Order: sequence, then C-alpha cells, then structure tokens
Amino acid sequence: MVKPLIAKQISKAFGSEQVLTNLHLELPEHETVSILGRSGCGKSTLLKILAGLEPPDAGVVELDGEAIHSSESRRRDIVYLYQEALLFPHLNLFENIAFGLRLQKEDEKAITRRTNEMIEKLELDGMQHKMPHQLSGGQQQRVSFGRALITNPRVLLLDEPFGNLDADTRSTMQQFFKRIAAEVAITAIFVTHNVKEAILMGDRIAQLKGGSLTMFDSIEAFVRSGESSVQEEIDFWSSISDDNNPSSN
Amino acid sequence: MTSTSSHLTYIARVLAVSFLFPVAFLLLLSVSAGWVFPEVIPDGLTMERWVRLATGNNELFGSLLLSLGIAFSVATISTFGGFFTSKHLAYHPGRSLWMRLSYFPFVLSPIIYAALLYFYFISAGLTGNLFGVILGQLLIAFPYSVILFSGFWSVRMQNMEQLVQTLGGSKWQAYRRVLLPMARGLILVCFFQTFLISWFEYGLTTLIGVGKVQTLTLKVFQYINEANFYNAALSSSLLVLPPIILLYFNKKYLFKKRW
Repeated sequence: MVKPLIAKQISKAFGSEQVLTNLHLELPEHETVSILGRSGCGKSTLLKILAGLEPPDAGVVELDGEAIHSSESRRRDIVYLYQEALLFPHLNLFENIAFGLRLQKEDEKAITRRTNEMIEKLELDGMQHKMPHQLSGGQQQRVSFGRALITNPRVLLLDEPFGNLDADTRSTMQQFFKRIAAEVAITAIFVTHNVKEAILMGDRIAQLKGGSLTMFDSIEAFVRSGESSVQEEIDFWSSISDDNNPSSN
Repeated sequence: MTSTSSHLTYIARVLAVSFLFPVAFLLLLSVSAGWVFPEVIPDGLTMERWVRLATGNNELFGSLLLSLGIAFSVATISTFGGFFTSKHLAYHPGRSLWMRLSYFPFVLSPIIYAALLYFYFISAGLTGNLFGVILGQLLIAFPYSVILFSGFWSVRMQNMEQLVQTLGGSKWQAYRRVLLPMARGLILVCFFQTFLISWFEYGLTTLIGVGKVQTLTLKVFQYINEANFYNAALSSSLLVLPPIILLYFNKKYLFKKRW
C-alpha cells in the first residue's frame, strides 16, 4: 500500500522535557488516522514538525518518498489546521476560501469557479459576502476546511479542529468532515484527546504516549488493546442497561 | 432618553466650540492688520502674511517644509521600524526585558535622555543638522511605536502567519495579504501619533539642533519671545492645521472599531 507521508525516528525536546522519542509514523493514502493522546503529550508538536512549523531535533520526514524535513513549510503541500478556525477577519467568506488560490496566482476565472464550487460543497451558498464575525462557530470551521481543501494539499493535518465547538455543532461537523473526506479522498491526520471522536473520525487509530506512537491495525484492535477506555465504557453502559432490564438476565 | 440625548448634543457642541475657538482666534489674528488692546475686534484684515508664505517669500515657509520633512521621516521610519521590531521582540524569549527597555526614554523624560546622549551626538557630528534632529526624535518616536504595536503580536497572529505558510504563502505574502491589512488601523494611528510627536517636539530639537534646525515649533517660540504676535499667530496656525487635516482624512481608520 502507498504511504504518502512517513516520519522516521522523530525526536523533540523542549529544554529538559523530552516530548517525542524516536517516533515512527506511516500515513496510508486516502485515509484519516486519528492520533489520540492526553493534553500536553506532544500531539501538536508532532503535527507542527510534519508541517514544517517546528524543527525536529532528530529524524526524517518523507512525502511521497522525498525527504522534506528541511524544506520550508510553504513548499511541503501539507496544510495544518488549528483548533481555532483562524479566518482572516479583513476578508469575506469568498476571499477566505479563495486565499490559497490567490497565493498560487491562479487566474481570476478559475478562482471564481473553484471557490464557488467549494462554497456549494460546504453548503454555504448565499454567504459569499459575509464577514467572519457574521458566521457561527461551525460555519467558520467549514470555511477553514474549504480554505485548506481548495488547494488540494497532499496531506491535511487537523489539530483538534472541533475542540471549541459545542456538543451539537461538534457532532454535525464530525459528520460533515466524514462526508467531505470521503468525497475528496483526503489523506489526513486528525488529532484529538477524545476517544469517541478519534473512533468516529479515523479510518485507523494511533496513540501517542510517553513520546512514542502506537499505530493500531484496526479500530477493533484499538478497542481490544486495553489502551483505550472504550471497553470500560461498553461495560459501564451494559451494566446500566442490565440494571434497568433485570428480566433480561 | 431624548432629553439625555439632547443634553449630550449640547455638551458636545460646547466642547467643539471651546476646541475650535483658539484655532479660529489664531487664524483671525494671523490676518489682522492691527489688533491692539483694548480693541475687541481687529482694525482691519489683510492676507499679506499668508500671501508671502504661499509665494515662498518668507523664512516661515522654509520652516514649514523642514518640519513636514522631519515629521514625515520620523513617522515613516518609526512606524514601519516599530512594526517589524515589535514583532521580533514579541516572540523573543527575553520579551519582558526588551519591552521594559522600550519605556526607558519616557521614564527618564525625553529631554534628559537627549542631554545624556548629547556627548555622542557631538562626537558623531550630528548636532546642528537635520539628520541629528531626525535621529534624536526617533529616540522617542521609535520606542513609542514599538510599545504601540507590541499588543498586536500574539500567539493567534503567529498562528495566522504560519497558516499562510502552510497554505503555500511566502513570508512577504503573509505580510502583504494578512498582517499589514490586519494592522492597517493601528499603523495609521501610529503614523499619526509619531507625526505629532515630531511635529510638536521642542526641547530635544532645540538641544540637538542647537538653534540651527529651525522647525515650525521653534519659530512659534521665537516669535512669541520677540512679541511678534501676528507672525506667532501665523506660525501657530500652520502648526495646528496639518494635524487637523491628517485627523480629518484618517478619521475613518482612527476611530472605527477594529477586530
């Protein structure tokens, strides 16, 4: 199977604190890998190293077989999305989505066509002229996705993108992301500290713990591993269910 | 509700009149043929002083151009220098020390600060000339600009800049398409403020210029000391008008709510 993004022997320390130790990661083509880990375990640091925003102390990052760990972030074709939508406040919705195409100096007709197609895909028709402060949290995140996807990046890195949203909007956005990911065959890493979200969003799951990454072959393998609290949760809800239906015993 | 609103309108009008009256009085005095105490109104009006100024046949015209040149240079250098310097300071590990140092010229008082550095200005041959005065005023305007812009740079702004880079943009594109447009209002405020710092500067200009660099502010004091009221009024009018014009044209950016 083709592995577009491979990170080998990645190490990173901040002062005396070792955050990542000889970490190895392989990202399969057109799949989303959920990376699960506690706050402060180095998830964001790993994504920033892959995006070229943070230099590793040691290790190699390869994209389609080519070493990119010393390339500038703008030449990597990897887009990093933050927890916050970070829309440009002086640009309207259309211009925010078209931003990457303008950087690439696409011609005006292509920009208009592709941006309108993306707006339609994001279900934001009729909002082209709205400014970011006029959009809801969920709409802002959609624009943020659209702005990243319109440039067709090789890899998309999502750093807890739904962390700031309320439960309902979060759930809607998770479904939305799954649909878009399937439509455009995204190759992505989705970082979260929420087990349920990791299972929902990822085609496979990895866990970052003690500076090392463990990749599970399947979601079932992750649930069985005992590393997650999923089995405990299943047992908990089963016991509640059993208590409420004693006749079932 | 309506009563409170009309009261506020009345107070605003009184304040406006009290601010505009000195300007109007100076303009009237500058076109007076003669106005001697205890006369309530001038003997007559003449445009002679303004005509001489407009034709350039007046030493005040030279001072006006000199002051404009100095103020524009100081405002431009300090605004753009401060914008980029403040960014580097904001993300520097020793940020708090550098920011404390930025306040140094103001804690010490600009004139005392200039007096302490006077020896170096003499040694470098910068006293009594234009470059020395511009450099002297920059010692005040530049730290002011750094302090003003320091609030603009934040983790959020750093993230935005990095986002532009991962979207394929260069550092220059991040400045041109995101950072400079977002800071536009603040840049205008800074330019306006540093222009005013330079425009009305007296003590430091006198000390470093040693009387050879005759800015408009120095001319006003010279005419007042000579009891030349009409020329003092003319030069004062000139001193007041550019900031009012700048304020008028930039009011949209200076007073509007920013993100």
